[in-house]
Amino acid sequence: MDEYDEMYGIEDDFEQQFADELEVMAEMERESPRNVKVSELRSKKQTFEEALTSADSALPDAPEREEDESLTPKAKKRKQDVVKKLHFEAAHDEDDEDGDDGNDGNDDITPQKSERTRSGFSLSLSPDRSVATGPLGVLDISGLEVLQESPKRAAAPHHALKRPPASGDFITVTDCTGNRVYLRKNQDQQTPDPRFFRNSQNALGLLAVPVEVLKEQVSERRHRQLVEESQRLTELLNSGIDPELLVDEVPEDTEDENSNASDESSASRLWVDRFAPQHYMELLSDDFTNRCLLKWLKLWDSVVFGRERKPRPPTAESRANSTSAQNQNQNQNQRFKTKSQITEEILEAELDQYKRPKLKVALLSGPPGLGKTTLAHIIAKHAGYNVVEINASDDRSAELFQKRIDTATQMKSVLGANEKPNCLIIDEIDGAPAAAISVLLATLNRKDSREGEDSTSNPLKKKKKKESVLLRPIICICNDLYTPALRPLRQQAFLLTFPPTQQSRLTQRLAEITRRQGMKADTGSLMALCEKTDNDIRACINTLQFLHGRGQRQLDQRVVNSMSIGLKDQNKGLFSVWQEIFQLPRLKRKRIGGDPFGGFEEAGLKDRSQRLQHILHLASSSGEHEKLTQGLYDNFLSMKLKDPSLTGVCSGLDWLCFSDLVNEKRIGGDPFGGFEEAGLKDRSQRLQHILHLASSSGEHEKLTQGLYDNFLSMKLKDPSLTGVCSGLDWLCFSDLVNPQLYSTREKQQLCELIDTMINYNLTYRQERTAEGQYTYILEPNIEDVVQFPGLPPRRQLTYQVKQLIARETELERMRRVERAQQRHNPQKVNPQLYSTREKQQLCELIDTMINYNLTYRQERTAEGQYTYILEPNIEDVVRFPGLPPRRQLTYQVKQLIARETELERMRRVERAQQRHNPQKMEKVEEVKEVKKPQAKKQTSRNHQQRLENIVKEAVVESKPEMDFFGRTVVPKEKLAANSETDEDGKSSGNLQIGKAVGNSDVWFRFNEGVSNAVRRNVYIRELL
Amino acid sequence: MSLWVDKYRPTSLAKLDYHKEQANQLKNLVQCGDFPHLLVYGPSGAGKKTRIMCLLRELYGAGVEKLRIEHQSIVAPSKKKIEINTIASNYHLEVNPSDAGNSDRVVIQELIKTVAQSQQIQSSTQREFKVVLLTEVDRLTKDAQHALRRTMEKYMATCRLILCCNSTSKVISPIRSRCLAVRVPLPSTEEVCSVLVGVCKKEGLNLPTELARQIAEKSGRNLRKALLMCEACRVQQYPFSADQDIPETDWEVYLRETANAIVNQQSPQRLLEVRARLYELLTHCIPAEIIMKGLVSELLSNCDGHLKPEVAQMAAYYEHRLQLGSKAIYHLEAFVAKFMAIYKKFMEDGLDNFMF
Repeated sequence: MDEYDEMYGIEDDFEQQFADELEVMAEMERESPRNVKVSELRSKKQTFEEALTSADSALPDAPEREEDESLTPKAKKRKQDVVKKLHFEAAHDEDDEDGDDGNDGNDDITPQKSERTRSGFSLSLSPDRSVATGPLGVLDISGLEVLQESPKRAAAPHHALKRPPASGDFITVTDCTGNRVYLRKNQDQQTPDPRFFRNSQNALGLLAVPVEVLKEQVSERRHRQLVEESQRLTELLNSGIDPELLVDEVPEDTEDENSNASDESSASRLWVDRFAPQHYMELLSDDFTNRCLLKWLKLWDSVVFGRERKPRPPTAESRANSTSAQNQNQNQNQRFKTKSQITEEILEAELDQYKRPKLKVALLSGPPGLGKTTLAHIIAKHAGYNVVEINASDDRSAELFQKRIDTATQMKSVLGANEKPNCLIIDEIDGAPAAAISVLLATLNRKDSREGEDSTSNPLKKKKKKESVLLRPIICICNDLYTPALRPLRQQAFLLTFPPTQQSRLTQRLAEITRRQGMKADTGSLMALCEKTDNDIRACINTLQFLHGRGQRQLDQRVVNSMSIGLKDQNKGLFSVWQEIFQLPRLKRKRIGGDPFGGFEEAGLKDRSQRLQHILHLASSSGEHEKLTQGLYDNFLSMKLKDPSLTGVCSGLDWLCFSDLVNEKRIGGDPFGGFEEAGLKDRSQRLQHILHLASSSGEHEKLTQGLYDNFLSMKLKDPSLTGVCSGLDWLCFSDLVNPQLYSTREKQQLCELIDTMINYNLTYRQERTAEGQYTYILEPNIEDVVQFPGLPPRRQLTYQVKQLIARETELERMRRVERAQQRHNPQKVNPQLYSTREKQQLCELIDTMINYNLTYRQERTAEGQYTYILEPNIEDVVRFPGLPPRRQLTYQVKQLIARETELERMRRVERAQQRHNPQKMEKVEEVKEVKKPQAKKQTSRNHQQRLENIVKEAVVESKPEMDFFGRTVVPKEKLAANSETDEDGKSSGNLQIGKAVGNSDVWFRFNEGVSNAVRRNVYIRELL
Repeated sequence: MSLWVDKYRPTSLAKLDYHKEQANQLKNLVQCGDFPHLLVYGPSGAGKKTRIMCLLRELYGAGVEKLRIEHQSIVAPSKKKIEINTIASNYHLEVNPSDAGNSDRVVIQELIKTVAQSQQIQSSTQREFKVVLLTEVDRLTKDAQHALRRTMEKYMATCRLILCCNSTSKVISPIRSRCLAVRVPLPSTEEVCSVLVGVCKKEGLNLPTELARQIAEKSGRNLRKALLMCEACRVQQYPFSADQDIPETDWEVYLRETANAIVNQQSPQRLLEVRARLYELLTHCIPAEIIMKGLVSELLSNCDGHLKPEVAQMAAYYEHRLQLGSKAIYHLEAFVAKFMAIYKKFMEDGLDNFMF
């Protein structure tokens, strides 16, 4: 209770300060905390020492007596004391000097300690001592006496040696800093029995305390020092007690940092943290919001800060108001908007019977980077709370949430530095599961039900007893106020929506930061930066730091504009997306007046495509396509249209219809649903493009999708390539890569184009440019041929379109091959049975597949059947949605193709390798020559491939393979093989087999277990 | 006091007023004791449902008329809960599966399965099968229709399906081939007149033949509509006079006004107004097809002969898209916009020609 009172007194102090003007209080805080807080902190720790010292001082005489009584223990005592003195010097001195004074002296200790060099020492050791008290206990004092008479430092030079003494026994001692000294062992008059040491410390040695314990103590001391230091730092940072001091410090630091760039903190700390506001007055966020939150928090004063506060609220309020920018006056004189009036009313409203404000939770909302979290923290600190934060990085399951809320709101730290009441800040609450939020609500409502129960009795008394009643403020922070999970909370919360930060203020702050960091930046560029990041404080500062880190000391508009960082990947609200779509950017487009054909259109096109990209980005990030489209539909007519012929409107509506169809199909749940959903984005993007074009006033050609632009800019030169050109042209204007989204006409044209390309044997080949980019080049490159010199180059298709065409062409080619193949004999699965033509087709097919890196992959379906699936599964891609699915190849054929593809691929790899080392090549060359391509191209290659495998296996691999091979396979083939080559001896080892395989001309391998191993007569002459 | 439409609905095949031959055929069909699945189709107001109910009564007796409305909730595999209303007697179950929207497949499968899997208890006295009556089959999704074809075969022993729709064009051919298609055409004007007169006589009213004829024509031979109109006339003025004006339905008037508005002015602003009107119609549950049809007929009567083929073609195009899509308003408005564009161009061209 005493302690409680004591603390209460401190709280009162706090409260007293609080009652004062806010600013004054802040001022006070700057001065007082040093005394109040630090001493508090110390006194906490001191309690331990108090206990000890009091124990010590209580028995000043006792040890004396003991010493007199017995001699044997005395020796032991001595030893121990020496050791103790060695390590606890500071502590004991302290105890000697101050401890005797008792509790009263506690406060005095602090300043002294701070002057001491090893101030942390005593503190850090106190727990150790409590551990050590068992054996040492009472004996301490005698040791202390001795110590004082002969301080260790004086003695040390005599006894401590840097290296082991040449003669005599010695003890090695390692001190806390790791230095090792050697102490000569003097023969004591009364040799202490070693057993004593054993008995006392259960270890043999001259040290009374075992080395392990010492080590532990040392490490613990270090640890504690660290902890304390960091605690002090964080406290300093968090509490905002001495912002002035800190602010003063920071510039000093930074100046230092600027001078010597190797300073750690500058590299490790984010500027956002370093320049975070430490004080209410430094907040960048909107004043009104700040004030509201503060006022709300002040409403809690009466319940949180206790009984004496009862008369307080009015005065506190009036004072608080008079302090912070004359709130009250403003409130009275100036009529706010309705919303703010409502807010004011809430703040003015009566407290409930527990003296709590009506709304127990404040809910801050706003886009990221406005300083919501900072505000919450600072205000909570400001109002004298200890901040407990829960954010998204914590586990927020319902149970844990409940636990944490309870801990934060109903408990208070008795030990430790934070004797202040807690204020719970739940950050990023919109990401919390609904269960967690209902837990929070339950916490709020639980007390409500209790209220009903004990409303008759004295609420104040009840409140004191009832722990479960929520008596601490909770501040929730979210980005999106309208998350469904937050709906129940919204009704019970004091809602505060953050308006965007004022650009001028932000710029000012940024200027300050740049100045401190030695960067040069003019206001204009800072403004540009703000604009770019949508006045996101965090993004601005991070960008600045990034630039600073890159060594950029000069910030100008160009840099800001060219920067791709600092852009948030944030989805905007639907309304802003609509706005973006329907409004032309403010930037005036540059028009080159001279060239009506080239320049003008180029500029227009470029601008348009940029805009298109932008809108696509927006649309795809918004995610709500349905609503987006609906909104477009609702609004596009109300645009101011210079569209007398209604073409734009018509095309816009056509696209809406199209979007509806696509949507319907998607919802219809056909198997390609996901795929089409992906297409949907393209769709909506395109749609918005068109709508935008339709809606943005201006050039006539804009309304016609830029289609005619392309016609104009495109000069068709080659009569024989008309088909290609028209096809290209049609594709030109389309940024769509997805053929499924092409209209029927476009599809037809694409088909024509592909047909033409196949017939003319044109193809797009992917090439890598010197810059590492991939481009598609028409091969043979007729573009060079057909273009008249002197004319500007025709606009190239985009990479995607080319890719699409190339793919489609190849697929079509493949399809044809397959079709032809199937037509001939779809059932044939053994390549050996194929006719020459079929083989050729198969070759082509495999070639194609390898070139496009396609393959059939075996997969097991849910029913346990095996199927082959084309990978990547372009079949889905290339199939037009309306068309019936193409006939699939049979499993066997697919298997065959897969195998052949694999083999061919391996062969190629082999060839490539051989090209590098021609020695190996010879063998294969030989083997190759044996093959008669017209007869058995596939099969022989196949064999060859196998052989090579075998060669590799045989040469590289070890026993089991060989055994298996030798026993089962070789005998059969040996008959054949032996007839051709002599090298292969029956008893020859595995190595020989491997060699033989490589060297022999003819090989046959029985394919056991494969169903397609069709028997067939093979004559040697065929093989040769 | 119920509507005349319900009050004087014939309850047995013998009492049907028109298409008596068809009624006879149906009777014969039922008297054989068994019948195949039926697909009853025809324009609305032709008496499909009446005929089906008569058939059921013929089949099971008066027990079919003891109806109960049931709310069934079916959980789709995607955990989505589908609520659907069914009307059932002991012998049959009537369902409008298209109420379930895109999940109608689940409804079809589940409902029919539950009905079909339970045998009739007294199979000696009753038929050994139940009847499931599916209405608005043409609004079923393809998925549901495909689900239906297997179900039809599988539960043939215990269940007969009677499908009811306006047009067979949206019923997939496998289903058509599994059913005996029964077309119920609209009654002729004379038949409508006789029904009207007969009903009025039963009500104790005297309906002039001219008025009856007028009503029949105005209703487009839709018997239900004719009866409703007749009742409306009765409320409006009695005793009937031959040249009494027949109250038109509001939405028709509204639609006509809309069409006029389109013709009068072509601008985005007008389009916006038209949109509001279309929304109004749609929210009053006027089907989009009917709106489209009404608009087209009104617009066609207002525009030049040269434009008509183009407008008709456009209407067909957008009507088709309307069927494919799900947001009727887009397609209706697209049609209107297109019409505006064409019409305006035509007028301007005409003006130009006139000028030069």
